Amino acid sequence: MTANFTLLFLAIFVGATYWGWTWPYIAKMMPLYVAAIPGVILTLVQLYRDGTQWESQEKNRAKGIEMDEVHNIKLDRQTELWRTLAFFGWFIGGAVGVWLLGIIYSLPALVFFYALIDGKEKLHTSLIMAMVTYGLVWGLFEYTLEMRWPPGLLIGY
Amino acid sequence: MDISLIDAAVQGFFNLLHFKVLLALVVGVSIGTFTAVAPQGLGMPLVYAMALPVVIKWEPITGIALLIGASSVSAICAAYLPILFGIPGGGGSQATILDGYPMGQRGEARRALGASFMAGGMGALIGTLTLIIAIPLAKPLIYLMGSPELFVVVLWGLSMVAVLAGNRPLKGLIAAAFGLLLATLGQQEQSGIMRYVFDEPYLLDGLSISIIALGIFGIPAAMDLAVKKVGVEQQPAPLTGSLFDGVKDTVREWWLVVRCSFLGVWVGIVPGIGSSVVDWLAYGHAAQSARGGSSTFGKGDVRGVIAPESANDSKDGGDLITTLLMGFPQGVSTALFIVALLAWGYLPGPEMIKRNPDVIYSVIWVQGISGILGTLVGFALSNQLAKLAQVRYSIMVPVIFVFVLMGAFAVTRDTADLITVVVFGAFGYFMRRFGFPRPAMILGLVLGSLMERYLYRSMMSYGFTWLSRPAVIVLLILATTSFIFAIRGKIRSAAHVTSAVGAAMRKEDAQDDS
Repeated sequence: MTANFTLLFLAIFVGATYWGWTWPYIAKMMPLYVAAIPGVILTLVQLYRDGTQWESQEKNRAKGIEMDEVHNIKLDRQTELWRTLAFFGWFIGGAVGVWLLGIIYSLPALVFFYALIDGKEKLHTSLIMAMVTYGLVWGLFEYTLEMRWPPGLLIGY
Repeated sequence: MDISLIDAAVQGFFNLLHFKVLLALVVGVSIGTFTAVAPQGLGMPLVYAMALPVVIKWEPITGIALLIGASSVSAICAAYLPILFGIPGGGGSQATILDGYPMGQRGEARRALGASFMAGGMGALIGTLTLIIAIPLAKPLIYLMGSPELFVVVLWGLSMVAVLAGNRPLKGLIAAAFGLLLATLGQQEQSGIMRYVFDEPYLLDGLSISIIALGIFGIPAAMDLAVKKVGVEQQPAPLTGSLFDGVKDTVREWWLVVRCSFLGVWVGIVPGIGSSVVDWLAYGHAAQSARGGSSTFGKGDVRGVIAPESANDSKDGGDLITTLLMGFPQGVSTALFIVALLAWGYLPGPEMIKRNPDVIYSVIWVQGISGILGTLVGFALSNQLAKLAQVRYSIMVPVIFVFVLMGAFAVTRDTADLITVVVFGAFGYFMRRFGFPRPAMILGLVLGSLMERYLYRSMMSYGFTWLSRPAVIVLLILATTSFIFAIRGKIRSAAHVTSAVGAAMRKEDAQDDS
């Protein structure tokens, strides 16, 4: 699976090299010579490492500092997969809601349904959360700070 | 001190004396406090990513007040989780568990918190004072720098990828190359060539760094909470004892505070060591140097709280020295702070000292004031903050949803931004899952355009002869040396530089296992 993600990087770098090849030197200096072509070489080395399990062997030998958060979810694979998909479902649903209904209606709705269904909060807690969200999005940003949110595709306001 | 710097310092202070700025500072302090005590999964990178799309639309000083206020206080209040719940707080407060939690268990939680706030406040002030002193010292050097030197400084910053990549330098370099590539999207400033635009008007100006940061940090953080479905489950230690006892302890151990604070500043200045180890280094130093420390540390010795907290809070001052004076970030938060400065039209590093010294001093004032505010908030609201630590995921996740989606929409109010944030959210999730360090990508993204600008100017003005300028050669040697040292694991060894630290870590592991 790691190799698949490395392959995605490789595809991006190869594509970037291909599309930028005909640009004048001044335009391709950074994207090609500094980023894409070294990127291709680095991903090929990484693919070799992925293929030979180099990283897992190395991990046992050295204990360095992690500068980014480490993926440390300790759930069974099935549960983790379903919860991950559900999370992205909620998030993408929220984004689609913003697109269709506008941010003022969709965000309180997202908060309400997420808290009620996924979070199993009580109805009145979910309602209060939705109202606070509405107060924030409309009351603070739209009304007080005059930040005009664009209307949704289906509902204008 | 240079008279113009004194003027800048005064102007920097007056910049803050506006209602909006002070309000932003209070909001920042509140956000930082909440972040420090909220359940695991929240951190300053996430706060910066969520705040960035909103604050870049504000007046610069207002935005600076919010961002710096939040990060400064977050470090000071980070001791709640370790002391009350025995779980790591934000980065830099992990070692506090070793003595803070036993103190909490035996009814001295307030004393431990008092010591932590006082040591944190003193550490923050020492860090800020060091930053103030560093500016006039650095200014003469900075005036010697032209575009070629600035290019090498940025290149040096980019070499920090090897450090930000931590355990995985190769993956870090790949992530940085990807960040650099993303930075080149859109119409090139110098030639007008459209790069990777594919006739798509949305890509004409490139992708917004704040939206990318929001996606790659915000969504994985929310997902972590949603998938684990946890908050802080265990009961907190009883909030008993006296805060004032902790203050007295800290004042009595003032020399330990000073030593550990300078250790923190040093860790902040040296690229890449960062908050992951600062507390352990200070703890190790205290355990070795404190009288009777070998028998009392790990069993609830207040010096084991004072040392890591003072070092952790002074580190921010050191971080800002490198970020503001050199223009390269020490971690994700400072990288995102640079993004904000760029969005406001400042060029962090030498150019900013030349052109906007008053803004640099405003940053310093905010850092100092919020350090004091954070200490006062900690003292005044210790009971209430302890309750905040028990917020459930079902409340936290929707809050992150709201700010991520609102943040994505706030930048250009273009629906395509929503697609971008979702795509980069998924990308951030996979990057974290497969160990590609996201900070390295952000570093490439932030420094990419600066690098191209300085390289272009250098080539246009000097051709290839800029490579023979003495300052360029010196800076190149420094950059290469730091890169090689980082790659070869010199920095890694800092993680277990003393046996005391190693012993402390093993002890913590044992506690975790039990």
